[in-house]
Amino acid sequence: MIKLADVSITLGDFSLKNVHLEIRKGEFFTILGPTGTGKTVILELIAGLYRPDAGKVLINGADSENIPPEKREIGFVYQDYALFPHLNVYKNIAFGPRLRKMPPSAIKENVQGLADMLEITHLLARFPGTLSGGEQQRVSLARALIMKPKILLMDEPLSALDPNTKRMLCGELKRVHEKYRCTVVHVTHDFNEAAMLADRIGVILKGKVKQVGVPREVFERPRDQEVKNFLGVEPLKAVYAR
Amino acid sequence: MKKLWWKDKFNIFMAAIAYLTLLFIIAAIGTVIMKGFPHIGKSLATPEIQFAVKLSLYTSLISTVLCIVIAIPVAFVLARVDIPFKSLFNTLLDLPLALPPVVSGVCLLLFFGTTAFGAWLEEIGLPFVFTIKGIIIAQIFVNLPFMIRVMKSTILSVSPRLEFIARTLGCTPTQAFWKITLPLSRNGIIAGTVITWARALGEFGAALMLAGATRFRTETLPISLFLNMSTGDLEEAMAAANLLIIISIISLYIFNKLGGDFIGGTRGV
Repeated sequence: MIKLADVSITLGDFSLKNVHLEIRKGEFFTILGPTGTGKTVILELIAGLYRPDAGKVLINGADSENIPPEKREIGFVYQDYALFPHLNVYKNIAFGPRLRKMPPSAIKENVQGLADMLEITHLLARFPGTLSGGEQQRVSLARALIMKPKILLMDEPLSALDPNTKRMLCGELKRVHEKYRCTVVHVTHDFNEAAMLADRIGVILKGKVKQVGVPREVFERPRDQEVKNFLGVEPLKAVYAR
Repeated sequence: MKKLWWKDKFNIFMAAIAYLTLLFIIAAIGTVIMKGFPHIGKSLATPEIQFAVKLSLYTSLISTVLCIVIAIPVAFVLARVDIPFKSLFNTLLDLPLALPPVVSGVCLLLFFGTTAFGAWLEEIGLPFVFTIKGIIIAQIFVNLPFMIRVMKSTILSVSPRLEFIARTLGCTPTQAFWKITLPLSRNGIIAGTVITWARALGEFGAALMLAGATRFRTETLPISLFLNMSTGDLEEAMAAANLLIIISIISLYIFNKLGGDFIGGTRGV
């Protein structure tokens, strides 16, 4: 579905070196790594914000180099939510469908459906600046999901939230994935989040992919000392709770 | 406990300088207002001041609209696009801001008056030397870099991430610009427009050099002020000065209200 073939890119002081990743259709793939290792850049490469200096990003087997972001059928949810501050919640969610000239009644129905599912119906007339972090995150998710993206890219979607909201949204993300069956690429530095959500995890350290596997495998059998040091020695309850 | 500033001699000294400065500004502007304001109604009725007001409004509105139309794309390029020689571009664009307006006027006069390009423009019906079009060009030349600066700060204050998200939702780069960048720059555009317009109204040096100072021909408000002062017609001169002062105060207020906070480097210009 998504393949990064020996991708390298340098952006200022930061670089990714020969990243090789294969993400399967419909899976929930989590890229796990400490802050500043280039996890977000991987998402942005898939989304088409950057072109790799070397290597290829393949989507459904096709080289994506000349496909602009608007043609990639992706949804992007950023850590800071990136809601449009000049539009209210309804217009934020309806932004994509309106561009596609969907009939207003269908837009209304879709927005309403998603708002019900994510429990944000009461917020539709509000502006992003007046919402809490958790609320903004739901709106951001709704805005991405309304386009029925084939690929949903999420950059640390839960890291700015308090523990309770985080737990709740974690469950919601799982439900959303089960409902939409889109391919999710999720970036986090939080082991628990990765263990709870991921079908497979890719551990990335210092701009390199160190290990890819199902959560239990990654946490129980880190490939080398570097991965082991990053993951720590404590076994993760979340892995066994699934 | 709140510190009482007047308990400290050093603070008193600094505050005295601050208040004297303020007093100087108020006194200088106040004198013109006191002398001119009582006659403003009478002077406004004279054909000369009426001509100057109309010409000033006409030239400044056209030059401001042209400044916006040119400044937005240039500012967008400087804020968002990696073009070759960008830093050189930035420095050169600021040059007219640093030049005395009279020197800018001489540059324009020589460019339009002595080159083949200027001659060609005149041939196709666009004469700029000693004409009203010259006033407009002079206002644009002096104000455009300023408008570009304001617009660049404004566009830089819009997160590129928002434009990118708009792309993932189906926008082409052009649509992202119209639907995200431009609406979010609204306050900056209004603030920049108001202050550019006020500066255009007051533009004197460059316009004087390129368009000259001819009564009932290229007589804008500042030119009228200059002409009437030199001939000793103080009432008309004061009327023109008062109008310019009132416009400046109002536009400065609007500028600071709308854009002064996020257009850091240009606050109160």
